[in-house]
Formats: sequence, structure tokens, C-alpha cells
Amino acid sequence: MNISFSSIGIAAFCTAIFSIASAQTEVNSSSFGTLEARVLGPGTMSGRISAIEGVDAEKGKTIYIGTAGGGIWKTTNAGASFKPVFDKYCQSIGAIAIDQKNPKVVYAGTGESNMRNSVSIGNGFYKSTDAGSNWSKTGALDSTEHIAKIVIDPSNSNTIYVAAPGPLWSDSKHRGLYKSVDAGKTFEKILFISDKAGCADISIDPSNPNTLYATTWEFRRTPYSFSSGGEGSGIWKSMDAGKTWKQLENGLPAKPIGRTALAISPSSPNNLLAIVEAKQTGLYISADGGASWKQQSASLNVVSRPFYFSTLVIDPKDPKRVYRPAYSFSYSSDGGYSFAEASGEGGWVHSDHHALWINPSNTNQLYLGTDGGVYMSLDRGATWTFVQNLPVGQFYHVDHDMGKPYKVFGGLQDNGSWVAPSSTAGGVANGDWKPIYGGDGFWVVPDPTDQNMAYAESQGGDVNRIDLRTVKSVSIRPLQTSAEDKLRWNWNTPIVTGKANPKNLYTAAQYLYRSADQGRNWQRISPDLTTNDKKKQEQENNGGLSADNTSAENHTTIFTIAESPLDEKIIWVGTDDGNLQLTRDGGKTWTNTAVNINGNGIPAQTWVSSIEPSHVSKEIVYATFDNHMYGDHNTYAAKSTDGGKTWKAFSSNEFSGFAHKIIEDPINPNLLFLGTEMGLFASLNAGKDWFRMKNNIPWYALVRDIKIHPATNDLIIATHGRGIMVVDDISAMRGLTNEILAKDVHLFETGDITLSTGNFGNGGFPSTGGWVSPNAPSIKPFQYYFKDRINSGTIKLEIHDGEGKLVQSIPATNRKGINRVTWTQRIAPPKTATGATKPDNGGAIAPQVLPGNYTVTLKVGKDEYKQPFRLVHEENSSFSLAERKAQHESAMKLYTLHTSLASIVAGIADKQKTYKEDVAKLKNKKSIALGNDYLTALETLRATLIPTKQTSMFADESRLREDITQVYQAICFNEAGPSNLQLESIKTLSSRVDAAEKKALEINVQFETNVKKAIEKEKSK
Amino acid sequence: MKLIKYLSFAVTGLLLSSMSIAQSADEIVAKHITAIGGTDNWKKINSMRQEATLSVQGMDIPLVITAVHNKGTKQEYTVMGMTGYSIITAEGGWNFNPMQGQTKPEPITQDELKYGKDQLDLQGDFVDYKAKGHTIQLMDKEDVEGVECLKVKLTRKSGNESIFFFDPKTYYIVRTSSKMSANGQEVESVVNMSNYQKLPEGIVIAYTIESTAVPAPITITKVIVNGKIDEAVFKVVTK
Repeated sequence: MNISFSSIGIAAFCTAIFSIASAQTEVNSSSFGTLEARVLGPGTMSGRISAIEGVDAEKGKTIYIGTAGGGIWKTTNAGASFKPVFDKYCQSIGAIAIDQKNPKVVYAGTGESNMRNSVSIGNGFYKSTDAGSNWSKTGALDSTEHIAKIVIDPSNSNTIYVAAPGPLWSDSKHRGLYKSVDAGKTFEKILFISDKAGCADISIDPSNPNTLYATTWEFRRTPYSFSSGGEGSGIWKSMDAGKTWKQLENGLPAKPIGRTALAISPSSPNNLLAIVEAKQTGLYISADGGASWKQQSASLNVVSRPFYFSTLVIDPKDPKRVYRPAYSFSYSSDGGYSFAEASGEGGWVHSDHHALWINPSNTNQLYLGTDGGVYMSLDRGATWTFVQNLPVGQFYHVDHDMGKPYKVFGGLQDNGSWVAPSSTAGGVANGDWKPIYGGDGFWVVPDPTDQNMAYAESQGGDVNRIDLRTVKSVSIRPLQTSAEDKLRWNWNTPIVTGKANPKNLYTAAQYLYRSADQGRNWQRISPDLTTNDKKKQEQENNGGLSADNTSAENHTTIFTIAESPLDEKIIWVGTDDGNLQLTRDGGKTWTNTAVNINGNGIPAQTWVSSIEPSHVSKEIVYATFDNHMYGDHNTYAAKSTDGGKTWKAFSSNEFSGFAHKIIEDPINPNLLFLGTEMGLFASLNAGKDWFRMKNNIPWYALVRDIKIHPATNDLIIATHGRGIMVVDDISAMRGLTNEILAKDVHLFETGDITLSTGNFGNGGFPSTGGWVSPNAPSIKPFQYYFKDRINSGTIKLEIHDGEGKLVQSIPATNRKGINRVTWTQRIAPPKTATGATKPDNGGAIAPQVLPGNYTVTLKVGKDEYKQPFRLVHEENSSFSLAERKAQHESAMKLYTLHTSLASIVAGIADKQKTYKEDVAKLKNKKSIALGNDYLTALETLRATLIPTKQTSMFADESRLREDITQVYQAICFNEAGPSNLQLESIKTLSSRVDAAEKKALEINVQFETNVKKAIEKEKSK
Repeated sequence: MKLIKYLSFAVTGLLLSSMSIAQSADEIVAKHITAIGGTDNWKKINSMRQEATLSVQGMDIPLVITAVHNKGTKQEYTVMGMTGYSIITAEGGWNFNPMQGQTKPEPITQDELKYGKDQLDLQGDFVDYKAKGHTIQLMDKEDVEGVECLKVKLTRKSGNESIFFFDPKTYYIVRTSSKMSANGQEVESVVNMSNYQKLPEGIVIAYTIESTAVPAPITITKVIVNGKIDEAVFKVVTK
């Protein structure tokens, strides 16, 4: 119920402020701006790092970190803290370059170029002129999709080269080496090989910037294969700033070659090193600017996985010092003739390295980017320290249990399976995240019927049951029997529990398996549900020039499974090759509905990335489809209301990125969320209109999975680059109906609010490093809606008790959309005694109110909106309702003691002020003595009531005020009844206050009349 | 007592926020100046005394801000009967925070002073900004709390930069964002403004100010424009 007491009406009020009234209220992210996501992290397992660049003049203090899926992070303090600076743009970063002559100018090329199966795509080239605070897209390189390197001519900042390998999944004319002569405004393609081969690297000779070295690379992925190498790959040199190019071949391996990592020695630019992928991948050295090359023997790490490890760096000052970050970290002190490995002293360094920055003013200091985050070395790479405050983990999926607070479960790209509390004492810190399984992590699913068990896996179907108490795992991967073909497991094999029957555990290869006993026994409940296209099953020949077969290209597999929440016999299965299969009889018979989808502009063969059977009807189902592996980045999401017979695709101008996940709110089926490779989207009207969620979520976040917690109504998001995010309590999104949207102001019903002094403790110390997420709020806030931001008039919330007495008045916010204001459930603090030399906490502490009926009033200028609500006591063994009442009563007694003491002290001060000047003017010795005795007696008393000497917070001077506060503070913050000694103490304090009052009166009676007389007597003279 | 620690920094933004005040950037700025009362009215402003309250869950902290154009500003706050202040003049700046046991004012840092001196311009950054040696630059629009704001970067003669976000309907400032350098670190100060009201002198100022550095909004309760202010209030008394 919402009662407006406005006589004028808020509409008139708003019209007065805004000359133009909007005809229709548009719902967008700003309507829910206060629903800000908490970033749970973790920072303990970070994510893939693709670029690191530092400002030379800042000597290692200012560094930009480019990530595979978490945007750009900047530190100005050598890593003590980082801030994300690219949250409004594409989150996949390929390259960063800083204009060292004017380091406020920073360039970012989007689209990482470590071309693994899960690599994201970019949408162009960006420039900042204010050191990363603001960015704009420039240069029309939007279609390059992947940018590997940006180089600025050291002699002319307007000249920029951009190496673009180009699209991974399709032919493209947008590959090649680009050059700008106007600081990134426009680009010209200056080296183009073919639609299949792009430019993978560019280096500039610092002593002669007309000399350039570029490498080209032919490569391609399909959903079921990867190939690195071809005729288009090569190593090139230009002596005229890119006008003409000559291929370098003398001493290099014959074609076809693959990806080449090339490095020029900054201090001796005729010295070059190259790791050339070929039939026999090798390390090659040139001492004559590339005219001739010699092969050098190299360790396995130096030549390992060249498509993925393309970093090779020579020290800026020492031409002999060479670094090869690859599977592990190798370094050479003799120009590349021999390499050694980093020591393990100081701790493990995550494998798979992609970026290295050397501080030019202290070349002992290196920053290394790996698949698990950033490391820093102070000894030229011999040992490393992990940077623990970059929450850029790449989750594939997320799940939760029903604990209080609940836990989140998720699997990370190259970083295993993890569990963490959603809130805990001090906030969710790195140490709260517990690893429960290794390898690459994907689905991590708690058993809804057994809080001690969860299911986790590593790539390619390695499914396990984990006992969370011991973190011991049992392999439960279903195995082939004589009745089946060889099992084909997706890289990211589904593990799902039943929504209708939580005892059902499902996993799938090309067949669907179900277990009713935690994976101890499995039943195959389907035939091969894929297309079983043999052409797509030749992964053993994978990789191109270098064999690369890690299950990442496994195809014609089942990717997604969903049991209807309304009927355990209805099961949907989606495959990576375009089949969308339905059984209505628990797996006895199956129908492929794929053909029904393809009519909606969704191509055949499209990867079925998620299926969501509705909570309200067995016939309603939603699904997302991902066709990016055929070079198609469209957002495909659709809904069927007839059990998959017909489908209607959702469309919106807001959409960007291929789709990963769609979910329906379990309470309000009109509320939908869609996660794509470039953003999180929501619809309040069953998919008719969509808006991008920007609620402290990167606008183009890679959203892989979404859950809504049924108890807390939290939106839990798995991002592939920004870890797990939680938007606490989205019930306001559920409740924002058209009727409310049409209003100018709406105060939502709160429901019952539980009394709390905080759910997660208040002990401990602030964070001193690592990533720490704030906790969920302990107290449910009041929520109200403004159609527009209120620009005029005071806005506040008043709380009245059941008898209509004003309990508290708090300032309220004025933003457009949903506002959230929390009341601490306390009255205003007491006015405590003033005039002391030290402050006292008593004046900032207030008693908590009692359970009961209350009313909240939202005051907007002259208008009022009311909602009744109940404060409830949560009964538990350590704090009964009777104890709460006793606690409140004691707190209120102490509150009164404070106000009484304040009044006594004010009275004393008042007398001192009244007589001080006049006494000072007295001349008669006896009168002077009398006056001074009076003032001294007052001051002596005052000095027993409040501190009058010490000012330092480190020097105790506890007086009556402080003694009251000691008990008062304890009782006000205890969720417990008062102890016997606390009650005793209140009695003692009460007598001391009474005694002080009596003493003040006595002093005044003893002296005041006589002193007054003496003053008047002298005045009359 | 964290509150107290941050208070002086927050209040530092107060004058700048409510009064300061440094399509094209020039058009936006011109409309803004018209919206807040016009150049002529602002150029008549020589002093201002503002009383305000910072209310934290029922605990009211009174603030008094006294300013004389291009001479000095003093911001006083009283918590539990103890009064602290910060003063900035053309010569220097001081903080006095007895809640932390200080017995006399301490000078503010050079970084703080560099930023603080810009607040002495009581007539606003944007009034006659060119003559003052400031420059402005139009930036891309940005949503601030649901308002698609016009965004203008002001670079002051001092080199200090602030970004102003204007409501496109009213041309009032919705937000300012300033980056200060503190000991080589960038510190961003964000101040939101609302509840604009017109004074008898014809100028319009924000009566509600929220800063990222304080836990509750500051509400102005009383404003006296061009009243007599003894510049001695900016003199620092070191006991």
C-alpha cells in the first residue's frame, strides 16, 4: 500500500523542475543504478594477462595491465592498488601502447591475440588523452577483431603501427599491418598478405625508425579444428617506414611456417631473435638486421606452443639479456645462445606467459603476465612475487548452495575449481577462496541434497565428486561400454543437477547420463544426440604445424542439459553442433527440435549454449545460440511457448556479443537476463525490450553464466575475465511493474526487516592487500523509485513507531530509478557532555529499537509517501526476545544517564561562564578568594565528569562520561542480554550521576548567592 | 572518528561544488551561467557564509563555511562539542582537528594547497573563465545517476583539472570529478549536487551536496551573501 499525502501531487512538483516531461518512461540500467554488483574476485587466482606497459618516466610506478577478458587495469603505485579504467568498452585487450613523450596518451587495441579456443574478440582501437580516464574509439579498425601489437615511432608520436592478425574463425580482408600518421585518427593498411594471413608482430628499430620488422601469420580455427601455419606466414623487413617490404629468408626455415615471435635488441638494433614455428620450430639469431640468420639450439620451453606463446623480449639496456616467457619463464644472459629457467624460490609462478614489461629505469624489475595473473620480479626474473589484487579470473560457470550466507562455486579457465562464501567476516578475501579441483575448471555444482558434496571437473569430461570436508575427489566419469561408440566429451562438459528432482545428477558426452546416487552408478538415457558428423571428429590431426590436441577442439558433443523445474521427465539437451533435443519421458524417446529454430534467422549447426525451461509452464523454454565459431557474432536468444515446436528470436539494438546464457526469474517470468560475450542484458517485459546492465558491471563484460539465488534474490554472475559478481537482492527489478514505472515516486513495501547489529562480525583489521569484496548488506534497505532524478527540495526518510512517535530521520538519495537507503534500526544518539579536551564515542552511539510495527515515510519536498513495516527479532539460542528487551531497557537507561550528565556539565559550564569574568575583576581579597573557591569547586567537579587535561588519543583520562560510555557502547552493540555486572554497573553509574547533580547543587547553594552579592557590591561602588 | 578525518577533505570540495563554477563547451557553459543567475549577479559576490548540516543516522554535525572572494575560506565543523576547522588563503592552508588530539592547527600539504587555492574564486570557475586563464573542453556525454549529462573538462590556470557534468534540462551541475595529486598518487574526488535554490541575490546554488569522502549528504541550511566578514577569521591562531 502506498499512500500519498500530497495535495499538489508530485507530478506538478516535477513539472516545475523539468520544463520537458518525458512522455514514456524508459527503463534502462540507470533505473537500477543503486543495485551495484559486488566483485567477489578472487584475486588469488587471477586471469589471463595479454599486455603490460609502463610509463618510462614514472620509473615503474604507473603501469597498465591489459587482460584477456577483464579490460585494462592501471596502477600508479607499482601495484599496491589497481583500478579498472576500461569498463565501458570491449574487455578483451590485445595490445596497449603509451606515448612515452606524452604519457597521458595511451592506445588500446581490443581483441586478444592468444588464439586459444576460448579467446574473445575485439571491436576496435581506442585512444585516451588523459592517462586512461576517458577513451574514444578511433581509426576505424573495428573489424580487425584481434590486435597483437601497437608500436609508436619513438621519433614521431603521430606515427603508429598496429599489427592485426585479424579474425580467427573466418576469412577477412581486415587483417594486416596498419599505419597511422595522425596519432590514430586514420589508418592505412601497409602490409596485407591474404584473407587468411594477418600481421602478428611489429618491431621498430629505435635508432632508425624507418626500419621495421613485421611477422605475418596464417591461422584458422573451426569449432572442431585448429591450424597454425601456411604460405602466408613470413618475416618481413621495411627500410622505408612501411612503403616497401622485403621477406627475410636467409637462414630461416622453408615455408610453410607458422607464428613467429620476433625481438629486436633496443640497445643494439642489428641484433634480432626469432622463434619460428615450423615443422621443426626453432630459435634463430641475426646479427645483421635480419639479412642472415643462424639457428640456435633451444630448450623445449623456448620453442613450445608457438601459436599461444609469442612473447620474446630483450633487455632495453643489455643486448645479451633475453627473456622468453612461454609455458614457463626462460632467460638468457648470452644473447639467446643458452637459456635457464626461473627458480621456484619465492613460490610457484603460473604457467602460460603472454606479456612482459621491463622497467627501463631499473631493468632488474620485471612484470610478467600469465594465464593466472601478474607477477613481479626484482631480480631479472629469477624469482617472482604474485600481484594479488587483480580480480580478472575467467569463470565458465557459477553455482550456489543454500547456506546462510550461501557459498559460490565456479570453474576458471586454466585455474581449477573454486568455492567461496558470498559474505564473511571482514569481506570475501583471497584466502576465503578454496580450490577443490585442478586443471581447467568449468562446472562446479554443489549437491542440493548433500551440503558436503559437490561435483567438479577438468577439461574433456573428467567429472568428479568432491567431499567438501576433506576436499578428496572421486572420479565419476561415465565410461564407454560395448554398446557405445568412443565417448566424445566437450572441453566444457556439462554437469547439472535436477531442478524438479534434485537427486538427479546429469553429465553428457554425445550421450546423456543420469545418476540417482551421486555418480556412483550411471544410466545412459539417450542415444547419440549430436549430428555425429565424422568430418568434425578428426582432432588427432589438430594444430597445423605443431600438434595441439588438448580436447579444446572436441566436437559433436553435448554442451548443455536442463531438467524442467516442473517435471523431471522433461529434459532438454543442446549440442555444440546445433541439435536441441527434448525428451518428455525421462529419456526414453527424444525429439530434435533444431529444425524449428533455424527458421528464425538462427543458422543450422549453431552451438546451443544454454537452455532454460520455464518455471511457470512446461511448454515455455528459452535458449541461447552461439555461432561465433563460424565467424558470426550475432546475439541469438529465443523463446518457445509450445515445447520447442516454434521459436521466436529476441532482438534488440542493445545486444552485442554472441550469447552464452539466458535465465528466467523464478518468481516473475517477465524478468529475463541474458549474458553474452559483450555484456549482461535484462528485460522486464518478457523479452520485448532489453537494456544493458551497467551496475558496477563492465558494460561489455564476458558473461558466461547467471543464477538467481532463491533465498536472497541475489543475481550471481560468472564473468570470463572479472571473476564472480553478485548484485544483492534484485527483488526491486522484479517489482518494478508498468504501473509503478508510470508513477513519479513509489515507495516499495519492505516486508519484515530482521533486527541486526551486523551479520558478519565487526572484528579484524582492514585489508592490507589482495582483493577483498564487501559483504552483502546486513540490514535490508528501504527502496523507492523516482521516475527522474529529483533536483529540487529536500528528500528524507522518517521512521515512526507504532504509536506515531518519530524514531529517526535520515537523509535520502535523489537518483533516477531505484534508490536504496538503509536505516541502522537505531534512534538518534544522545547529546553527551561537551567541553572536554577529548572526544567520546558515546555521542555517536545509539540504542537499537525494539521489534514491532513501524512506518517509513519518504518525504520529497512537501510530499509524503508511507509504508508500514515490521521489525522482527530473529529468535536464536544466544539472544532471546526477553534478553533483547532487557538489553534495550539497559541501553535506554545509559542513554538517559548520558543526557543527564550532559545537562549537569552544561549547568556547570554555564555558571563558570557567568561568573568567570566578573570574578576576575574583583578587587576585595576576601571576595576574590570566595569567587575563586566557587570557580575552583565547579572546575574540580567538572574534572570528575569529563576529561579536562589530556588531548591525546593515546592518553586515557576516563571520567564519569567515559565510564558510562564503556558500558553503554558494550550494551548497544551486544546481541545479548546485559550481564549481572553490567546491570550492577548501571546502578553505580546512576548513583554517580545523581551524586554529581547533588554536588553541583551543593556548590551553587554554598557559593552562588554570596559570590553574586560580592560582585554586585563591587559593581555598585 | 574516521568521519572527522575525511570531513575536512570533503568540505574542501564544498565551496567549489556549490559555487564554483568555471552544442560546444562554450554554449554549455554560457547556458549554465545563465541557469545559475548570470555573470552579472555572480560578479557581485564578494563573500558568503553558509551554514550546513551533515546528518549521520541521527547525529547532526553542524558546518559553517565562510569565504571572502580571492582572500580565504574557512570551514568549521563541530562534533560532540569539539570544533575543528580548515583554512585556505592565498598564502597557505591549515587544518585543526582537536578530535584527533591536535592542540594547534597544522599546515596542509603543498598538494592540498595547490588544489585548495582554486577554491578562493568565489565567483566560480566558469564566470569569465577565459580571462582567468582557464580552458574548457567538451567531452562525450555520460550518465550520472540516470541523467545523461553534458560533460565539460575545465583546466584551470593552476593546471588543476575538473570534469563537470551538467543536467541537459536545467544546466545545473549534477557532479564534479576532480583528480588531485597526493604524494604522487592520483586521488579522485567526486561531488554530487542537487536541491538547487535561488537566493535573493539572484544566484542559484546547490543545497544538497554528496561527496564520496563523507558518509552522508551535506545539507545547506542558511546562506548569507555579501555580509561583512572580518578577514581575521582566516588568520591562524597557533596556541
